[in-house]
Amino acid sequence: MLLVLSEDHKAHLSFLTKADGSVIEEFGRIALEFLRKGANPKIYEGAARKLCVPVGMVQHGVEGLMFLMTESSKHMISEVDFMDSVITLGFGEELNQSLLQLYMRHKHQVRSILSQLLCNQPAYHNLEWRLDVQLASRSVRQQIIPMVTIRLLLTSYDANSTHSCMDLQTDPSTLLHVISTLEAALAAMKTSHARRILRNIK
Amino acid sequence: MRFRFCGDLDCPDWVLAEISTLAKISSVKMKLLCAQVLKDLLGEGLDYEKVAKLTADAKFESGDIKASLAVLSFILSSAAKHDVDSESLSSELQQLGLPKEHATGLCKSYEDKHSALQDRLRETSLRLRRLDSVSWRVDYTLSSSEIREVNEPLIHLKLQTHRADPGSSDTTMVSISPDKFRVLLTELKQAQTMMNALQ
Repeated sequence: MLLVLSEDHKAHLSFLTKADGSVIEEFGRIALEFLRKGANPKIYEGAARKLCVPVGMVQHGVEGLMFLMTESSKHMISEVDFMDSVITLGFGEELNQSLLQLYMRHKHQVRSILSQLLCNQPAYHNLEWRLDVQLASRSVRQQIIPMVTIRLLLTSYDANSTHSCMDLQTDPSTLLHVISTLEAALAAMKTSHARRILRNIK
Repeated sequence: MRFRFCGDLDCPDWVLAEISTLAKISSVKMKLLCAQVLKDLLGEGLDYEKVAKLTADAKFESGDIKASLAVLSFILSSAAKHDVDSESLSSELQQLGLPKEHATGLCKSYEDKHSALQDRLRETSLRLRRLDSVSWRVDYTLSSSEIREVNEPLIHLKLQTHRADPGSSDTTMVSISPDKFRVLLTELKQAQTMMNALQ
């Protein structure tokens, strides 16, 4: 599939046509650092001074390059499609080639960075449990009530891995019911319907 | 094959695989490695430098070092969990393919620290909220805005508790009238009698 780039995007990237090959490399590196760690304004100012252009232009150029990389990596575009998309920008052949090299080298890295941005549901981390027997309370003596106390530890991958814990208490019959429901869920993976879908995904 | 130290279940595949890694170092070095792992399980911390030096002869990579620490930690903690005696542990480990000297060395270290390990595991078992300390103060109220002469004692209790980790402690302050406090004391004494009868 072809990338469709907006007019603003093309205008931002047109700045790159005036620069030569090594500068493109440098800008590629800055764009990837931006993806990994966030924007660094001092680098923009240093680059702007060296090339005698306004800081805003440098920033737009880097952001445009970064957007090009993320969009291409997101859709897993083949080389041919990438070249066709980039040709619409009207750059020279050399620039197209260097952009293609940049894309091919860093495609997988960009994809792994992008995949980390999405997961925000808490995931299972650990489970601690304890079996107790209640023998008496203030109102009733001589009881025997077994209870299972469970601490479910979860991590969520949003900003850092934050741990949350949930304390639950249940009697043994409910616990057996939960166990049988979960085993039924596991067994659902082995039905022919699920197997057919998994075969087709692979 | 059911193993007692795995809780009468099958031995996990990764344990089987890493036992062969353990067999690569000499039994003396393995006993020192066990000592380090026991220190870590008892909460005293692991000296990674020493471990790296011990495994340097056998040319372990970092993955192998981590794997051998993990398998030793698993064996020792689940043996303590299921209260396995050292002869059974030794014979089960030899059945899994660990050489005899290594197994005896491991079981000797296990036997030395068996009760300390079980105490430590008992301490770190799940507890919802632990009581750290109780402090109290008895005041005598002379008068108040409602009535001129009150002349009654009042008890203040401060309970320090913590939840999951000792860092997050909570403080609860309660003030109790004498009658309520007497009821509380009687009930707690009844609970104490019942608790002592169990032991």
